[in-house]
Amino acid sequence: MPRTAAPPAADPLAPAEAWFAARGWEPFAFQREVWRAYLAGESGLIHAATGTGKTYAAWLGPVLEWLAANPDASPTAKAPPLRVLWITPLRALAADTEEALRAPLVDLGLPWTLESRTGDTSAAVRSRQRTRLPTALVTTPESLALLLSRDDALQLFASLQAVVIDEWHELMGSKRGVMTELALARLRAWRPGLRSWGLSATIGNLADALDALLGTAPDRPPGRTIRGHVPKEVVVDALIPPTIQRFPWAGHLGTQMLPQVVEAVEEGETAIVFTNTRSQTEIWYQALLEARPDWAGQIALHHGSLDRARREWVEDGLRSGLLRCVVATSSLDLGVDFSPVDRVLQIGSPKGVARLLQRAGRSGHRPGAVSRVTCVPTNALELIEVAAARDGMRANAVESRLPVERPLDLLAQHVVTVALGGGFRPDALKAEVRTTRAYAGLLDDEWRWVLDFVTRGGDALSAYPEFQRVVISDDGTFHVADRQVARRHRMSIGTIVSDASVTVKYVGGGALGSVEESFIARLNPGDRFVFAGKPLEFVRVRDMVAWVRRAKNSKGAIPRWMGARMPLSTELAASLRGRLEEASRGVWRDVEMEAIRPILEIQARWSRIPAADELLIERVKTREGHHLFFFPFEGRLVHEGLAALFAYRISRLKPISFTFSMNDYGIELLSPDPAPLEDALDAGLLAPHNLLDDVPASLNATEMARRQFREIARVAGLVFQGYPYAGKSARQLQASSGLFFDVFTRYDPGNLLVTQAHREVLERQLESSRLGRTLERLSTGRVALTEPRRTPPLAFPLLVDRTREAVSSESMADRVRRMQVALEKAADTGR
Amino acid sequence: MRLDGDLEIELCGERLVLLPERAAYRPADRSLLVADPHFGKAAAFRAHGFAVPGGTTGETLARLARATERTGAESIVFLGDFLHAKAGRAAKTLDALLAWRAAHPRLALTLVRGNHDAHAGDPPEELRIACVDGPLQAQPFAYAHHPQPAPACYVLAGHVHPSVTLRGAGRQRQRLPCFHLGPRVGILPAFGEFTGTADVPVAPGDRVYVVAGGQVVPAG
Repeated sequence: MPRTAAPPAADPLAPAEAWFAARGWEPFAFQREVWRAYLAGESGLIHAATGTGKTYAAWLGPVLEWLAANPDASPTAKAPPLRVLWITPLRALAADTEEALRAPLVDLGLPWTLESRTGDTSAAVRSRQRTRLPTALVTTPESLALLLSRDDALQLFASLQAVVIDEWHELMGSKRGVMTELALARLRAWRPGLRSWGLSATIGNLADALDALLGTAPDRPPGRTIRGHVPKEVVVDALIPPTIQRFPWAGHLGTQMLPQVVEAVEEGETAIVFTNTRSQTEIWYQALLEARPDWAGQIALHHGSLDRARREWVEDGLRSGLLRCVVATSSLDLGVDFSPVDRVLQIGSPKGVARLLQRAGRSGHRPGAVSRVTCVPTNALELIEVAAARDGMRANAVESRLPVERPLDLLAQHVVTVALGGGFRPDALKAEVRTTRAYAGLLDDEWRWVLDFVTRGGDALSAYPEFQRVVISDDGTFHVADRQVARRHRMSIGTIVSDASVTVKYVGGGALGSVEESFIARLNPGDRFVFAGKPLEFVRVRDMVAWVRRAKNSKGAIPRWMGARMPLSTELAASLRGRLEEASRGVWRDVEMEAIRPILEIQARWSRIPAADELLIERVKTREGHHLFFFPFEGRLVHEGLAALFAYRISRLKPISFTFSMNDYGIELLSPDPAPLEDALDAGLLAPHNLLDDVPASLNATEMARRQFREIARVAGLVFQGYPYAGKSARQLQASSGLFFDVFTRYDPGNLLVTQAHREVLERQLESSRLGRTLERLSTGRVALTEPRRTPPLAFPLLVDRTREAVSSESMADRVRRMQVALEKAADTGR
Repeated sequence: MRLDGDLEIELCGERLVLLPERAAYRPADRSLLVADPHFGKAAAFRAHGFAVPGGTTGETLARLARATERTGAESIVFLGDFLHAKAGRAAKTLDALLAWRAAHPRLALTLVRGNHDAHAGDPPEELRIACVDGPLQAQPFAYAHHPQPAPACYVLAGHVHPSVTLRGAGRQRQRLPCFHLGPRVGILPAFGEFTGTADVPVAPGDRVYVVAGGQVVPAG
């Protein structure tokens, strides 16, 4: 058919305007701005709260462009090859995204195909996608990396026009974000005009987010940062415990507030109860069902470890109004604009301002309605955090996402991926990698080391003829020849985020989801546990599947998923100090502070409420030993570094062994003998100098770097967990990351992956720059030392924390002589 | 030469010296008992594309030489898993083993085969190691790889790479490799450098000796 020229006056946005009008909507100004920018060939970042139309702002650009170029195409025409990649951080979101993207395609009559490709995608769809990808593909960073590892990768993306990255704020602070940056650099090298658009919540460092998205090549177009629809008013309130005196001082798994939560859920037609962990989700779901058995069938739970079919059922139920309440983790707080509800509850501390805003945004979608989130404290001190979060929100203290700097483990993984995906020449790949924000500062030595690591198994000086991973052809290209290496690499690409997981299935058929292998490993046949809201009996494990059957009652262990406890953000920690300063002066502002007043008055009576310029130290003796509690109120991350540093500095004064724990408020050092605190303070315990020596030394004294190495070993492909229950030959290749760490530290001290583990602990975990600033603050302030006879409220959560690090200056043999083996029959902890 | 770190114990009426090198010396017949050296494990990993640094074989052999020379042992009995895997029979590893053998030509060597040996194959003939299937009688003991009780003798075995977690005041805890002596079976710690450990359950009456900072220490 001969093409007729479009009328010159035609508005290229007209189809989108019409589509919006047909739905009774009017595009926001920012949406039009994005469409125009896209049509002009620009890239950029759109930031706004969830549920304000970012999805269609990004999606309709590519649609409009294609319509303008193909004004006469019929909906039944042959589908164009892959044009748009839509990257989502959670595979749980893929189905919803697909649905949202499909609506305008159908209404506007485009012949596009639209499919997802994630870990959830069926084998049939995968095999179809082997030969041909859809016009638009919704995928995750891991699945994209897998596509890049195909030897026909270049052809696959030959007509790609745009990449949209959803929830970019969620990705950019993690190695998965770096994985995405590397993939984008690859795609841009193949498709120079490629446009990339990121969708993000509003964060404190949008410029970093844009750099990470577009890369840092000198010829990079500037990119647009477009602010989305300004969010409506947000209200934060809390459910107040009726009798604060009987409310627990510590813990986060209790359900004391259940009656009030039931009441709040009843107030609206629909509600989401957000929790901070998957275990909490299971606990609250059970508790709600027990309180209201008549709600069976009307409430559900949703978290990332549940089987996809179950998650979809829940999402549909929430949309259709079948469900009145869903208990969920962040798996429901991201994603496309769907399922607004009447009531949003947050169990436990929100931990950050941005996160609270995001969750609040799930409610009040009616025009003019306010978004409201109601916090439910699980211990008394969380009331202060609610008040502090409200302060932070008023001050617009939205957190930044710290981007990851040149992680070499991930670079090693990427280099193997590219070697699989058609091979590479080192200089070209180095230049390409350096266009990303994460590797802009990659040193030549580091690059050479990574190349040696994947081609020789170590630095160039040692020759291991038996090593086989990436090989160099005669023409100088690097590629993978061994099929086993290829297979193992592809299987381990997706393992950045979690430990090996085991699928949970009914013996009679039907998948429930997945739990960590370590949880299943502790179960014996016949043991009960609760998962996916169902009481289950464990039958057996075979081939990565835990077979279960329905159990009669709901008593049983609840799986714990690994994953660090989320720390209080810096911003929230600062607000919290402000609230305590007020309390120390007898100012009780807001209902939360009024409610916690009796507890803080106990704190004042037994010890002291610290003023803003004071470091409170409490010295307490119990049957367990001698405790020192320090309260810098800087958030858990900084405290971990401070605890190691304090323990190290004190242990230099005399042979002593410490275990320590920390939380968002403070630090506990525990020793069998009294610690020389006064001497240590005189000798500069809080001094900000010598940090360059003291911090790494204290770090070496703990297991922190060794633990950090778990993830690094997995990403760099040292530890392979693809099939933990596989046959014997695979088991011969299993060694723990801890063993690797020890062997590297001893036999290859220059190993850059070990260096990276130390760097990650220092920079990301301990935020060493903040550590220095904290010490400066503490050393110029006053020390308030108290010696309470009982453990006061602020110290109590630290006292009962069972996760501990250790630092010792005694000889190992001396320490061991004072310790005992736990006997098989004597349980070590009362449960 | 005796070291401060050695620990002499009595087992089945016989003296046994537990060495911080993670081996046991039996003065009665001047033999050294060594479990799970897993030679060639690092090489096997490398052959499959895992980048393990070199040096572990050398260190394992140096420790073996030290234990032999210190005790004046005339023979060594390996309690299984001498070689880790077929892919670990790398030239460099085998050369190192031969060099060690050349330096200790008069030692009588015996291997009680373990599960890894079944797959990796017996050590090369030039090493002159007599290979047998366990249990190997050596009254009052029997040597085996798998720690399974046998009639009318006390079994000394390997296989599990035992460790225990010790706890002390102030919530101290420390995980260490150990000798674990039960009522009928005693398990030696894994000897190889590149080997992991697994915590073993300890029943009342079991004797446990941990290897802590160059010393063997009874764990209460």
